[in-house]
Amino acid sequence: MLDERTGGCMCGAVRFTARLERSTYGTCHCEMCRRWTGSALLAMTVPDTAIRWTGMDRIKTIQSSPWARRAWCDACGSSLYYRMTDGPHTDHYEVPIGLFDNADGLVMETEIYIDQKPDAFAFAGTAKQYTRAETLALLGITASPEE
Amino acid sequence: MTIRTGECLCGAVRVDVTNLPGEAHACHCENCRRQTGSCTMTVIVPHGAVAIRGAEYVTTFASSAWATRSFCNRCGSSLWYRLTKPDPAVADYYLSAGLLDDLTGITMTQELYIDRKPAGWAFAGTHAQLTGEQVEAIFAAGAEG
Repeated sequence: MLDERTGGCMCGAVRFTARLERSTYGTCHCEMCRRWTGSALLAMTVPDTAIRWTGMDRIKTIQSSPWARRAWCDACGSSLYYRMTDGPHTDHYEVPIGLFDNADGLVMETEIYIDQKPDAFAFAGTAKQYTRAETLALLGITASPEE
Repeated sequence: MTIRTGECLCGAVRVDVTNLPGEAHACHCENCRRQTGSCTMTVIVPHGAVAIRGAEYVTTFASSAWATRSFCNRCGSSLWYRLTKPDPAVADYYLSAGLLDDLTGITMTQELYIDRKPAGWAFAGTHAQLTGEQVEAIFAAGAEG
């Protein structure tokens, strides 16, 4: 099923068209995602081959860990993507669901780093939860630093 | 007097907050949604209660005719939201809660623009929820910002 959706940052300088292969996404509660977004990162996995970006000259990135990079719009500061730069998962973007013009039908399926979630809030529903240790095991990462 | 510390993902921007309130608010308006990827989660702090280090790493974007949003220009972390009227120099900081090193004692008690929240997720628990219309009636701002 072809589910093509458009999206973009707050100011509209960076836009994308993504072809979604599934309707579920994940949330990350790690300390870096918390500090980056203010709460947690809710993001959809989109393969490199399934997304086209425009306004890429406004995209700024930081290597936030030895194995991952984060991007934002340097005009408005909107978080644009997280992507792994090392290991077996370097062929896709994690795109924040809030960027989608229409996020209808997209459902939170997992919460990772649940043991680092602050008590200040919790998400409703039945998303499967993984601790930091369980997350790293799933990703095949043996290093100890934060992402 | 209690001082709570916080910093962005990369540590370039740091804040010291005096007498941090215990309540956080989530906002689901379109600007907050696109900026953070979900919603903003902020604590409201008087301008005099925030000391900022690393101000040279702060970029401020005018997201509406009455508000600005600031982010770290080294890592992209969302930092704070401030109103520009009536006087931007003394406006409160709607400080991004996730910046705080320790969120112990903080509870999210209110969701704004709840009618704009995407259906695919929700916060658990019981707390106040205001629609965009209700928020705008309170702030008399007229639109999302």
